[in-house]
Amino acid sequence: MSVQTKNAGLKHRRRAFDFLCTVPALVLFIVFTYYPIAELLRISLTDWNLSRSSYGYVGLKNYEWLFAGRGWGQFISSLKITGLYTLGEVTLTLVLGLLLAHLFDRMTRWFNFMRVAIIMPRYILVSSTALVFMWLYNDLYGVFNYFLSLFGAGPVRWLTSRDMALTSLVLFSGWRMAGYAMLIYLSAIKGISEQYLEAAEVDGANGWQKLLHIKLPLLAPTTLFLTVTTVVSSMKVFQAVDILTQGGPYKTTMVMVYQIYKLAFEDHRLDRASAEGFVFFLILLIFTAITMKWSNRNVSYDA
Amino acid sequence: MSRKNLNKALKTLFASLVMLVIVFPLYWMIITSFKTTDEVLLSTPTFWAKTFNLNAYRDVLTHYPVFRYLLNTLVVTLGIVVIQSLTAILAAYGFSKGDFPGKNTVFLFVLGAMMIPIQVTFIPIYVLISKQGWLNSYIGLILPEAASAYSIFMLRQSFLAVDNSYLEAAEVDGLDRFRMIFRVLVPMCQPTVVTMVILSFINGWNAYFWPKMIITTDRARTISLGIADIRMSFLSMEALNMNQIMAASCIAALPILLLFLLFQRYILTGFSKAAMK
Repeated sequence: MSVQTKNAGLKHRRRAFDFLCTVPALVLFIVFTYYPIAELLRISLTDWNLSRSSYGYVGLKNYEWLFAGRGWGQFISSLKITGLYTLGEVTLTLVLGLLLAHLFDRMTRWFNFMRVAIIMPRYILVSSTALVFMWLYNDLYGVFNYFLSLFGAGPVRWLTSRDMALTSLVLFSGWRMAGYAMLIYLSAIKGISEQYLEAAEVDGANGWQKLLHIKLPLLAPTTLFLTVTTVVSSMKVFQAVDILTQGGPYKTTMVMVYQIYKLAFEDHRLDRASAEGFVFFLILLIFTAITMKWSNRNVSYDA
Repeated sequence: MSRKNLNKALKTLFASLVMLVIVFPLYWMIITSFKTTDEVLLSTPTFWAKTFNLNAYRDVLTHYPVFRYLLNTLVVTLGIVVIQSLTAILAAYGFSKGDFPGKNTVFLFVLGAMMIPIQVTFIPIYVLISKQGWLNSYIGLILPEAASAYSIFMLRQSFLAVDNSYLEAAEVDGLDRFRMIFRVLVPMCQPTVVTMVILSFINGWNAYFWPKMIITTDRARTISLGIADIRMSFLSMEALNMNQIMAASCIAALPILLLFLLFQRYILTGFSKAAMK
């Protein structure tokens, strides 16, 4: 009996210890992730202006401003720009990643070295690489325009024209992320059974046919993983915009996070910024819920 | 057979060209930093610096507190790495080998945090941090980024793979639970732990969004903000000073570049594991 109570006591203590281990992380998540979500909602119901000392509750007025007032125009345009940017970055990253994986799928020392070189852009300080691209994109002295001039084309106003600025941002991000996508695709290609590829070879398939008809379908789970992670990271793009275009020219690169930031810290409207921030949170939430449902149904994991 | 070899050689050649195109911007950053202002402004750019000139480095280091930026970044990054690693190791143990009521529900709570980036929550966090008087401070930069759901997730996967018999053996040897975590679990999962530490270092060094929100004084700037600010200070004269901007970019990029090259094996396998999960 006493042995049993001793064991029960030990078990109890161990459970308490195991739970306590998770507490530091949980406290940080509560204070810096979950509580701020509730706060965000609360602030969005006030008229909090950073340049004034007090604030009161105004109900749904900020949401009215956002959806039915003067905020609607810029909200819908930033939503569109964020969507276009995301679509561009995801497409470019995945297509380049797959092509690179196809091209660099060889296990010699030289190819090993080249793979490391290709992945490097992602791990170099983003501020540094963004500044280099700013220099490469320069209207007058930029190397990109010099290369174009060799072919009698250009000059393109990469960052200063309304038609090009967003594309230039996408190109920069695609350059950063393509090597990472290649790496993920390569590790998945290694997992594809040789049997499939040999069978295709016997049937006379060439490299491209093997890529399109055998590898691509078998890589569907990898493509889904990359799509979800790239969508989430490109929806919250900020740094490239801040360094390369500051949302311009004529707000053509005013993505959602940048607009929320400007509302909060340039217009001092914490209330309106919070309302838009909360809507942004709901958009991310809905996207996550949809991908989770969809991925469970549509991607077969037997490969 | 020889046609196959020719194909192989052509493919290698083509792959090498593609690699050169991708690496070119990095080369351009380095080569521009060694040019003189006159050479930077040539209408036909030179692809090799005429004279390797260190003036740009000298100028940017004398006019801007670059070392201060680097020191700030190092302190903040180390703070983030230490807190993130300790909390992640303990929590990952709790969620893998630990046992307490509601474990799986609480773990969902952690996974949920992965879906909520600081770009959503920055306004309330800013209010919180400024109420504490932590704007422009190390602690204000460290705390909001001090827990990483991703690290916990990654470590938990790795801890789960450790056979329970090792833990039982440790218990027989009289190790208490706390020592068992750091003397048995962590060493056995060393590759994952190293990967996690390196990635959190790179992320910390790279941090831009949150520092941008709460840093307003030059003394408190981190290197990511600092070099963007050096460029802003030149305004419309930026092309004239591009060698200095590139010199600062090179200095800023060097630490993680070295880290990446030293630990590339860990980083690369870590990422493939995350994708395969």
